[in-house]
Amino acid sequence: MRYLKELLKSRELLANLTMREIRGKYKRTVFGQLWSLVNPLALMLIYTFVFSLIFRIKPDVGDPSGQNNFALWLLCGLLPWTFLSTVINLGVGSLVANVGLIQKVAFNRIVLPLSLVGSAGYNWLFEMGVLVVALTISVGLLGGIMLQWIPLVIIAMVLLAVFAAGIALMLSIANVYFRDTQWFVTILLQMWLYLSPVIYPSSMVSTVSNQIGGIFGSGITLDSIYYLNPMVHFLDLFRVLLYDNRWPDVATWFICLAWAVGLFALGMIVFRRNERNLAETL
Amino acid sequence: MTEIAVRVDHVSKSFRMYHERNQTIKSAIMRGRRSVHEDFWALKDVTFDVPVGSTFGLIGSNGSGKSTLLKCLANIYYPNKGSVTHHGTMAAMLEVGSGFHAELSGRENVFLNASILGMSKKEITRKFDEIVDFSGVEQFIDQPVKNYSSGMYVRLGFAIAINIDPEILVVDEVLSVGDAEFQAKCFQKFRDFKVAGKTVILVSHDTKTVQAMCDQAAWINKGELQVVGPSAPTIDAYLKSIKGLPE
Repeated sequence: MRYLKELLKSRELLANLTMREIRGKYKRTVFGQLWSLVNPLALMLIYTFVFSLIFRIKPDVGDPSGQNNFALWLLCGLLPWTFLSTVINLGVGSLVANVGLIQKVAFNRIVLPLSLVGSAGYNWLFEMGVLVVALTISVGLLGGIMLQWIPLVIIAMVLLAVFAAGIALMLSIANVYFRDTQWFVTILLQMWLYLSPVIYPSSMVSTVSNQIGGIFGSGITLDSIYYLNPMVHFLDLFRVLLYDNRWPDVATWFICLAWAVGLFALGMIVFRRNERNLAETL
Repeated sequence: MTEIAVRVDHVSKSFRMYHERNQTIKSAIMRGRRSVHEDFWALKDVTFDVPVGSTFGLIGSNGSGKSTLLKCLANIYYPNKGSVTHHGTMAAMLEVGSGFHAELSGRENVFLNASILGMSKKEITRKFDEIVDFSGVEQFIDQPVKNYSSGMYVRLGFAIAINIDPEILVVDEVLSVGDAEFQAKCFQKFRDFKVAGKTVILVSHDTKTVQAMCDQAAWINKGELQVVGPSAPTIDAYLKSIKGLPE
């Protein structure tokens, strides 16, 4: 609790560092903030081509929204995913990259990884804004309404951001002691992407799971293992809200909340334990 | 008894000197334990008080532990034993322009840097003109700092740090920056600090600076406190020890 108060005191610094990231990032580029959209759009094009046209993945039609568009369906999961992976990728190196600052100035070190969550979150907000416009137009043509779901989408975004922050806090510390962490993370994120229902619907996993039954004759199904992945629940939240336009299960909300709070608390504990030694360990 | 601004109480600080350091997971697993190391005591049982309103110098040769002590004072390192207690707000200036972002303008960097050093946005806005004025880079304040000359860069950094206006200011050897005119300005600022009853702790191996500015001094050698007290006798003792070496 006391620690949270300290964190609150550093909020101006956090805001300033976040602004440093945001302003510094696209300085001297012609397209500026638009670059933030290019990456997900490029991914969207290639994934839509490969998985929709070639592999013929067909997600369920939005219920009750009636949306039926692979690219939009994909983006509802892809944008949260790219946010998470950006936070983790950048967060890992956030302490090592600021050695100079850590060794010369006393300040609340936690703002370094958290400012990356802030700047990535800002970009994400921008991307989601564009997506919501696209979804609104699309659903409007179908005669539905999109806008009323926005407050819930924002809550889901906050949950994912807290979850991502917890991971970034832990990994940034791990990377101070073992520089291998950053390379591991790159590989693990690749695997995590394919193990999460970003480019295919989780219903396909359930179908396979039902076909196999219990693995090796045990009672454990593929599904039960698959649902241990927190991103399955987070992406479910986003797709149900954005693409289907209905209330997600209360259980999904609680699972996401538990993951977010749990990992953030763990991240805070790990960070706090090691914070004091950073200046000399780096 | 005068009031105490900073109390350094039996402070010891050790660093680990690694013979074999496991910074990769492979080496950690292969060797089973984390690493092989030996403790090096950079500070051994240092105790002194800095009175309020004094200008306190820390002197010593290279590698004597004075910078380590300074970092302990600045809350960057935490001592293994003993404690450092501050009475009043403290700001440390160990490097000027820490955290400047090269692509951002001088103006943006003033806000960024000052907030890293612990100032609130309101304070910065209030002191902005003073900072810019002190730094003497008004003309270029909206240019990205990467276009600054190294002198301008350092002057801006210094101007920010010195305008934080803490009750206790901790300074490393940053006074050697800038031209003679700027240095004179800095010394004047330190004198103003003193007049205002604020405490300054500075590290230097230039005994002339210490002589000119400090009324109290501590001499550290190989991590141990040798002499502490009024600056003149402390500096004499330090100089004598250097002269005592075969030339």
